[in-house]
Amino acid sequence: MSVQYVPTVADLNEIVEQVWASYLDPEGVNPLIPVESAADASDIHASVSITGSWHGHVVVACSNAAGKLAAAAFLAMEPEEVTEADLIDVLGELANIVGGNVKSMLPAGCFVSLPHVVSAPAQANHWPAAVQVCELAGLWSGESIAFSMWQSRELTGEAAA
Amino acid sequence: MKILIADDSRVMRQIVTRTLRQAGFDGHDLVEAADGRQAYDKAVEEQPDLVISDWNMPEMTGIEVLRALRGGGNDVKFGFVTSECTQEMQDQAEAAGAHFFIIKPFTAERFSEVFTPLIG
Repeated sequence: MSVQYVPTVADLNEIVEQVWASYLDPEGVNPLIPVESAADASDIHASVSITGSWHGHVVVACSNAAGKLAAAAFLAMEPEEVTEADLIDVLGELANIVGGNVKSMLPAGCFVSLPHVVSAPAQANHWPAAVQVCELAGLWSGESIAFSMWQSRELTGEAAA
Repeated sequence: MKILIADDSRVMRQIVTRTLRQAGFDGHDLVEAADGRQAYDKAVEEQPDLVISDWNMPEMTGIEVLRALRGGGNDVKFGFVTSECTQEMQDQAEAAGAHFFIIKPFTAERFSEVFTPLIG
């Protein structure tokens, strides 16, 4: 299998900007402010896996507060009204939207899984067959949220050869 | 007019509903389906005038629902709202008889552009 394309932070940024413009900040007053590290974005992790001509995962990680803000924005409600079910559904959908758009940038013949959401710190998540290839980390209303792509080790090795 | 909204995400069903309202399509009878099988069953039983469907759903994918409906002679107006937007998928949708293909994230303006000719 050959790797024609490795997704970049610029790709993630383009997709994330569309999500903010459509759902999270339609008025354009509260953008995602890029930061160096996603160290604090570790309460909730939502992911979709991509298989086929590219193998890997698209992961959305955020603090609980950022997740509630996102759910409130998606559902047009107040953050304090957000339930655990809302939070999980919204973060899963966020991963689905970003993953689906990433797929469109990959070679033909990829499949996107249904989303998987884990309410646990980063240490609870392991991707033993993949390595992180890019990450877009930021602060939104002072809360951490990060989007990352993890690529199959096999593909990474081929790409480096 | 009856509209069937099929998406396994409750959040996305709510967003589609809200965006329809924002785009000026108020007052329609909305029916929801939470997976592809439900979408197919409700499309047959409820006889909606329009089906707005996700692509990637449990039980049956959206394209499987559309093909099953068309295979059974059902010509309901049917289209996709999906985050997956490859040319391959758009070609499959068109070949199966889809009327529209909306990519997530979407805006009320996009809904207005697509749905005005269909239900406006």
